[in-house]
Amino acid sequence: MTIKASQLRFESLAIHGGLETGTGGPTTVPIVQSTAFAYGAASALEDVFRGRKAGPVYTRLGNPTTEALEKRLALLEGGRAAIATSSGMAAIATAVMSVVRSGDEILASASLFGGTFSLLRETLSNYGVTTRFVDPADTAAVRSGVTGRTRLIFVETIGNPRIDVPDVSAIAATAKEAGVPFVVDATISTPCLARGCELGADIIVHSTSKYINGAGSAIGGVIVDMGRFVWRSDKFPHFAPFVKRYGEFAFAARVRKLIHKDFGGCAAPMNSFLLIGGLETLALRMEKHCANAVALAHFLDDHPKVVWVRYPGLAGSPFHEIATRQFHGRYGGLLAFGLANQEAAFRFIDHLRMAKNAANIGDAKTLVIHPASTIYCDYETEDKVMMGVTEELVRVSVGIEHQDDIIEDFAQALGEA
Amino acid sequence: MNLTVNGKKTAVADKESLSVSELLDELNVEDVLYVTVELNGDILERGNFDGTLVRDGDEVEFLYFMGGGRG
Repeated sequence: MTIKASQLRFESLAIHGGLETGTGGPTTVPIVQSTAFAYGAASALEDVFRGRKAGPVYTRLGNPTTEALEKRLALLEGGRAAIATSSGMAAIATAVMSVVRSGDEILASASLFGGTFSLLRETLSNYGVTTRFVDPADTAAVRSGVTGRTRLIFVETIGNPRIDVPDVSAIAATAKEAGVPFVVDATISTPCLARGCELGADIIVHSTSKYINGAGSAIGGVIVDMGRFVWRSDKFPHFAPFVKRYGEFAFAARVRKLIHKDFGGCAAPMNSFLLIGGLETLALRMEKHCANAVALAHFLDDHPKVVWVRYPGLAGSPFHEIATRQFHGRYGGLLAFGLANQEAAFRFIDHLRMAKNAANIGDAKTLVIHPASTIYCDYETEDKVMMGVTEELVRVSVGIEHQDDIIEDFAQALGEA
Repeated sequence: MNLTVNGKKTAVADKESLSVSELLDELNVEDVLYVTVELNGDILERGNFDGTLVRDGDEVEFLYFMGGGRG
């Protein structure tokens, strides 16, 4: 007898969701390291290709290990279906390009990961898709940013590295009024702090490389179709065949059977296995990430060499109230702080003994980076400023080491800054 | 009762009618959370699976969006 997913709470769903174990079956999801899948009868393979029967055919299109990950992520977000990809950027690019066409406009938060900004501002503009950037905290500006050509609104639940927190439900209302899908990158908050079904998102994307993996060992991404958006509209005529054939799965079908299939940004089975393992401890790890981040934020806020700290868990943060409401009293593991200047930031980083200077987030290890000279090194100054990247900023992905070890490491490094 | 399921004549349980949920069970349809059900040309809302009945002569299509084809 098996328990239904609907009867499980989040922590249990993260461990059991999507795992179908028969008698004598493995308690982990096997790594199906196979390119293709054979069917005895020609008609059986035809049935799978035509969608009459469920089954894998080719790992770029679907794989049993990856399917288990997709099912678990969809359940955790409260969504209808999920498509796992090779990276977070593959998820974002595939999701966005499944919606927009040449001539369309995207309304996006100005507080974005650099890779997303590059996709929207640079890459998509080569294909006739333009993006307007707006301060996500200014809900009036978001409303007035919608035009007759807007076809998608995009925000991050916690901006990286601006560490701002938009009022997601207010923006969801704007998207609904405009009749366009609301795409939310929930990488930094994870489904732990707020599930997609609570955020009012139509589509959730994650870089699963971050907290979901949790060990800095696998790159991946996911698109979750929340199944809320009605694609039957004159704004989306290209969805009509998918609505006709797949109903509530119209978006998932268009992603899977067209854009994802054609782009080929598929997940590797081994990575899917590692990500499934990561999900099982996500809730526990996020508690620790959040607790450590709160402690570190307070320590930094009191430090004489620290000019400013950005972390919504601080009572003085302009986003404290919205974060408390949106994320049920937790604030995530990502923070940013400013020292005197870039030279001080470099001296600080150089003297860290435990925390690692690396371009990643969500690892068990505490990670720091100077974004202006690294991730954003090729961007124009005005774009950097728009995204909250300044020369004195240090971004910290607070890990799950002993809290005192983290603070002592920072204290001694700040002594040299 | 005799139905046409994915274009093939199929005999199912000896009853006058079955709910769509019961039919999915009866036919051991896999991955029921991810299947689209079309009854006599109309796609059914998932919430109506329990309350919609299939009868002798009905045409049912099961479709998975995960299929390898393009459409």
